[in-house]
Amino acid sequence: MTDASAAPRGSGGSPPRASAAGQAPRWRVLLTPRWLGWHLFAVAAVAGMCWLGDWQFRRAMAGNTLSWAYTFEWPIFAIFGVVFWVKTIKDELRPAADGAQVSEVVLPAGAKPVPGQGTELAEAAPAGDGRGAGGGRGAGAGDRQDDRELAEYNAYLAKLSREVRGHGRWHGLR
Amino acid sequence: MDADPRLALVVRAYRALAYVTGTVLIILCFVGIPLQVFANNLVIVRYVGTAHGILYIGYVVVAFAMTRMVRMKVASPGTVIVLLAGTIPVLTFIVERWVTRTYINPALAVSAGRPAPSPAVGR
Repeated sequence: MTDASAAPRGSGGSPPRASAAGQAPRWRVLLTPRWLGWHLFAVAAVAGMCWLGDWQFRRAMAGNTLSWAYTFEWPIFAIFGVVFWVKTIKDELRPAADGAQVSEVVLPAGAKPVPGQGTELAEAAPAGDGRGAGGGRGAGAGDRQDDRELAEYNAYLAKLSREVRGHGRWHGLR
Repeated sequence: MDADPRLALVVRAYRALAYVTGTVLIILCFVGIPLQVFANNLVIVRYVGTAHGILYIGYVVVAFAMTRMVRMKVASPGTVIVLLAGTIPVLTFIVERWVTRTYINPALAVSAGRPAPSPAVGR
């Protein structure tokens, strides 16, 4: 209480919240209809496995000795179902690591990544650097030609990288 | 550089369980169930069935660990097929070959510091 009265009146907590509202938190993905369907499926599957375990338990109590094994197996499968579901969600919430790996394109020696992901050809970007660094590479006109090709090549690489990003991942849950 | 010993161990355990579970399931389905249906003989179904149930729990745990280590996506058809293979006769043998070619060999090669022998398609 004393803290609250000592704090400046303006810092009520609404300004940071307002700034955070700009982008939705990651876990919001889990509330899309497709994910809600999967949540429902997971709950139904786990409940179903528990019910099967209970059914086998009743059969076992009725004298079916084979059912004793299944009485313990179904709950184990239900637990595994929960583990599987949790791992799926954790996988979904950190795809950024994969993306970062994919975007690391190995550029040829001397090439520089073009700013802005290479969507624009960015002739200006490597021009100054290229001429400064490549001292022994020949006169101005040829050098500029090189820069142009290099920029185009970089843009091409960036385009490939963008196209390939997300590949190699199953998109069923996205 | 040798392959990651943990990966190699999990892969070996996965293979062993895939083959044992697969063999037991074939006996259960192609010997035990016909005996039960046509000869009313429950011996094989009772013992081999229970054995398969217990083995399958181990198979699921080890196979799931394997899919994580070779970086298969959790809720992907591939992972689900690997896990369910232990309940469908003969499928473990086919799936083991496919997983070895598509995921395990590339993962082993990468952990050994060599370039992957073949790209992991269909991941």
